[in-house]
Amino acid sequence: MAKRITIQATRFDPEKDTKPRLQSYDIPFSDDSMVVLDALNYIKAHVDGTLSYRWSCRMGICGSCGMMVNGTPKLTCNAFLRDYWPQPVVVQPLNNFPVVRDLVIDMEDFMDKLKSVKPWIIRKQDIPLGAHEHVQTTSQIDDFKQFSQCINCMLCYAACPVYGLNNEFLGPAAIALARRYNLDSRDQGLKDRLPVIAEAEGVWECSFVGECSVVCPKGVDPAKAIQQTKLDTTMRFVLPYGNRE
Amino acid sequence: MSLPAGEAGRTLSSTYRWSMPANWWTRKRHYFFYMLREFTALPLALWLLWFLVEIKRAADGPASYAPHSSALFVAFSVVCLMFALYHSITFLSLAGVIIHVKFLDRPVPSRLIVLSQFGLWAAASIVIGFVLIWFGR
Repeated sequence: MAKRITIQATRFDPEKDTKPRLQSYDIPFSDDSMVVLDALNYIKAHVDGTLSYRWSCRMGICGSCGMMVNGTPKLTCNAFLRDYWPQPVVVQPLNNFPVVRDLVIDMEDFMDKLKSVKPWIIRKQDIPLGAHEHVQTTSQIDDFKQFSQCINCMLCYAACPVYGLNNEFLGPAAIALARRYNLDSRDQGLKDRLPVIAEAEGVWECSFVGECSVVCPKGVDPAKAIQQTKLDTTMRFVLPYGNRE
Repeated sequence: MSLPAGEAGRTLSSTYRWSMPANWWTRKRHYFFYMLREFTALPLALWLLWFLVEIKRAADGPASYAPHSSALFVAFSVVCLMFALYHSITFLSLAGVIIHVKFLDRPVPSRLIVLSQFGLWAAASIVIGFVLIWFGR
């Protein structure tokens, strides 16, 4: 007899419901390689077409299928049902964000924060196209490479109680990406980012819970980025000539 | 299926606002130890306040000074010492994560940084202990 598994998914219709509720779906668990996203897709295709959730690549690249799986923020395309079976799997929208519908969160706040740190290379004077390359050694790339792996999946925000208690906090991914560019030898935008990252609700709001780094599916260490930025901004303030470029 | 990209950009007035439950820190072991680490600052602060009072009392001269030695106070001090050690060990262990130093264009291993921090801590403890014992005789 084919195995079955119970998926309890959050349902919330903003036009009818005052708060989210869980709905159970009993579905076939036909293949050990099935992930939570496959289960949601099965429900959507065969059981209840009204279930709403985000997904795209199904291979841990796009970062759009992040949800709470049994209380832990996970990419549902990377959460295998075999790790939970025979217990039910509870799938909820990411913590700390407003819920738009069912498993879909409103990510506007994160997108605003991401833009505020200017996560792109800033030059005082651009090198004209065709003049020459921005030369960079492998050692210089190693300085920022791990922070560049962020896929903006927002799992770190869902895991961060500091952001949960005060959503003015700039948050782990935005700071990790700011650090990624600040450490890039081609970038000259540190002074443009400092007003955002060095303020009270930038790095200084973080009290180093560290769960952001634990849940990151790409091995980025946002907690490290935040603490290193605290140290750097302090040294810039304390050391003579620290604020000179 | 996935929502259109524009979905995230519109102003949403009918969303459900999520709020942190008061017992959030009991839901994960990691959160609990974080709260414990933060809480250690409170008894440490109380013990240091008491220590300031003791210094003031000792300033009146050895004749009128007798240190507290009740079992309750010793127990409180031992608990404070445990908290201080927990706080210090977690703090110094993170030094390797935070401090980013290069030597001959190669990053110094974080383990070496952590060991040096613990070494400095041990050296400082020996010096302070020596000064206290030497001048307290």
